Amino acid sequence: MIRLVLLLTMLSLSRSLCADSPTWLRLTSDGHFKQRPTWSPDGKTLVFARHQGATIFLYLRGMDGAERRLTEAKYSEYDAVFSPDGKRLLFSFNKASPNQGDIEVYSIASDGSDLKPVAVTREKLSHEEWPCWAPDGKRIAYTSTRDGNQELYTSLTDGSDEKRLTSDPAIDAHPSWSPDGKRIAFATHRWGDLEIATVDAEGKNLTRLTESLGLDDYPTWSPDGKRLAFTSNRDGNFDVYIANRDGSQPRNATDHPAIDNFPSWLPDGRLTIVSNREAGFDVFVEAASRE
Amino acid sequence: MLTLGKQTVRNCATFSRRGLLQAGGLGVIGLGLGDLLRLEAQENASSGRPKSIILLWLWGGPSQLDTFDLKPNSPTEYRGPYRPVSTNVPGIEVCELLPKLAKRADKYAIIRSLNSSSNDHGIAGTIGLTGADFGATSLSGQVLPGELLPTHGSIASKVFGFEPTMPRFVTVGGLLHQGHRRISGETGGSLGRLYDPFRLDYDAEQGVRIPQFDLIDGVTPGGLDDRASLRTALNQLSGSVDRSKAFGQLDQYYQQAYSLLTSHNAHEVFDLEQEADSLRTSYGRFRFGQCCLLARRLIETGVRFVQVNWSSHVEPVEDTGDGGWDMHDRHFQQFQDRHAWMLDQAASALLDDLDQRGLLDETIVVAVGEFGRTPKINVKAGRDHWQQCYSGIVAGGGLRGGQVIGESDARAEYPVSRPLTPADLFTTALHQIGIGTTQLTAAGLTPQGQVIEELV
Repeated sequence: MIRLVLLLTMLSLSRSLCADSPTWLRLTSDGHFKQRPTWSPDGKTLVFARHQGATIFLYLRGMDGAERRLTEAKYSEYDAVFSPDGKRLLFSFNKASPNQGDIEVYSIASDGSDLKPVAVTREKLSHEEWPCWAPDGKRIAYTSTRDGNQELYTSLTDGSDEKRLTSDPAIDAHPSWSPDGKRIAFATHRWGDLEIATVDAEGKNLTRLTESLGLDDYPTWSPDGKRLAFTSNRDGNFDVYIANRDGSQPRNATDHPAIDNFPSWLPDGRLTIVSNREAGFDVFVEAASRE
Repeated sequence: MLTLGKQTVRNCATFSRRGLLQAGGLGVIGLGLGDLLRLEAQENASSGRPKSIILLWLWGGPSQLDTFDLKPNSPTEYRGPYRPVSTNVPGIEVCELLPKLAKRADKYAIIRSLNSSSNDHGIAGTIGLTGADFGATSLSGQVLPGELLPTHGSIASKVFGFEPTMPRFVTVGGLLHQGHRRISGETGGSLGRLYDPFRLDYDAEQGVRIPQFDLIDGVTPGGLDDRASLRTALNQLSGSVDRSKAFGQLDQYYQQAYSLLTSHNAHEVFDLEQEADSLRTSYGRFRFGQCCLLARRLIETGVRFVQVNWSSHVEPVEDTGDGGWDMHDRHFQQFQDRHAWMLDQAASALLDDLDQRGLLDETIVVAVGEFGRTPKINVKAGRDHWQQCYSGIVAGGGLRGGQVIGESDARAEYPVSRPLTPADLFTTALHQIGIGTTQLTAAGLTPQGQVIEELV
C-alpha cells in the first residue's frame, strides 16, 4: 500500500514537472529521412517527402495511417504544400540529369492527376523550389535562381505574372506566406548566417525578425498568423522555435537533444516536426494545441 | 641527442628511422639497412599495439568554406550562410554545423592548404587515394598515362603482409563512381588485384553486407557457420564467376576472405548488435555512422587500414540515394539538413570511442575528400568543384592535434602558406604507421609526397 502511494506521488510529481513539455505523437515509424511535412486544410491528410534508397518521393498519409504516393514519377519530388482549398498541391520536382538536377515547381491535383508545370527552367538551367500559396490561393511564392542568385518570386498559380521580390547577393530561401496575405517570411544570410525576415507581397518593407548566434531557417506561420515557427541551432542543436509574428519572444518549442526540423502547423494549431528523437527520422505531431 | 639540420635524432636506443633518413642517409652514422630495419622493428615492438589508419573518404568533395575554413569576412556570395564557432582550442574555429567536432578540436589537426591538380572526380579521387594521377580515369573515360599506383590501404596490405584470419585492408562502402563510371584509384593498382581491398558495407535494413557475396543468394556474414556451408558457398561462387587466370591469382585473397567469414572472431566483428544500443546511437543510426562503428571494430581486431566511403557516387541524394558531397545545387539545404550533422556525429563518436578504448593513440583518423568546392556560390545556390584549395582533418596515431596547418587566402581560393597535397597527407599517415621510404622501396614503390613535419 505504501509503495502504491509512493508510486502515485512520484507519477503526480513527474506530471507536474513536465506540464510545460508537449507530448509528441509519432506518426511515421520507418525511420527514413523525411522532409517538409505539411497538412491539408482540413487536417486530415499529411504530405511529406521520404528519402529511401535512391529516391525522394512524396507520400500522402491519411488519418488511418495509410499512405500512397502523390505521383507515379520516377524523378525526385519534395517540399509539397496543399492549396488553401485542399484541391491541389505545389511541389518541387527534380528532373535529374545524370549528374545535376533541374528543380522546378509543379502543381498537381490531390488525387495525383493533372500534373502541370508552374515555375520552370527557361533559356538556361535554373532551380525553382520550396513553393507556398497565398492564403487566397490566387498567387504562389517560391525561390528561383533564374537571375543568377537564389531569390524570392511570386506568380499566378499557372506561373504567369512572375514578380521578383528580393535582390541581394545573399541566398533568400524557404518562403512562407502569412495567413493575412500581407507578409512573406523567408530565410536569408544577408546579415551573416541565416536569419528570418519578412517582406510584403510586393517585395517591399524588408524586416528582420531574428538575430541569433546560430542559423534560423524554415519559417512557417501559425494558422492564426500570430506566431512563426522556425528551425534554429542557436542553442547548439537543431530545435524548433516559436516566436511572435514580429520575431519577439522566441522560445524553444522542442528542446530535445535530437535533431528537430521542418516545422509546420496543423490547422488546429498543433506543431508538426521531423525528428530523429527515436533513432530514425520520423514525423511527430504535438498531442495538444498550444493555444 | 643529436641534431642534424632541422631534424632532432634521438639516441641510439630510440632512433627514429625517419630522423635517420633525413639526416642524410644511413652511411653518415655507419648503419646498414639491416640495422635500420631491426631498429624499426624494435621501435614498433616497444610501442605496443601496431598503428592503423581509418580513412573517412568524403566522396564528392566537401566545401572548405562550410566545414573547416570559414571566411566570415568575405563577400556574401562567397562566405555562405554559416558562421564559425569557437572550438576547445583557442583561436581555432569551425563551422557552426559541426558543434561536436568543435568540442574535440584538440584531438585533430586541420589542414587548410590541401590542393590537387584536377577538378575531375575520377582523376582527383585517384590522386587522393594513390597520391598520383597515373592511370586515372576521367569523367569522359580518358585514362591518363602511367601505371596506376596502389591505393594507400593496398600499400598497407603489401607491406604488412597477409594475416590468415583478417585482411589488412578493408573498404567499408561500395565501389566509387563518377556518374556511371568507376574510378581507378581504389585498388591494388600496380601491386595487383591481390591487394585490392576486402569490401564490406552496411545497410540499415540488412545490417553488415559483404558485396562479393551478393552473388550468392542467402549468404550473410552470419550464415557461414561451418565448412560445409562454406564449401557450398564456394561452389556457388565459382560457378558464377569467370574461371580466368586472374581469378586464380586471387586464391590467396579469397582464402583469406573465406577464413575471415568462417571465423568466430569475424562473425563477432560484423555483428554490430553486440555493441551497446547507446553507442550505436551515438555514432548515428544512418549508414555512414554505423560504418564508422564497424571501422572501429575492424581496427580493434587487427585490420591496419579501413577506408569508409561516405557514398559510392559523388552526386547528392536525389541522384543516387546514398548522397555524396558533390552539391552543385541545393548545396546548403543538403549540407545543413543531412551531411553536416552526419559527419559531425559519426566522426565525433569515432574519436570518442577510439579514445575511450585506448585506441586513438594507435589509430590515425583522416577525414577528407578529393577536392573542395568553389568559394563563390554558383548560380544554382550551390558550389562547384575546386581543387586549388581545400581542407581535411587528421587525428590520432600520435599525430599532433589541436592545430591548423596551412592557411588559405581571404576567400579560401588558394593556399597562402604551406601548400600541401593529398600525397603529403597520406605519406605522413603511412609513415606514422611504419611505412616509410624503406618499406615502400622494398615493395617496389616510392613515396608520392613529403612527411608533414608539423604533424609528427
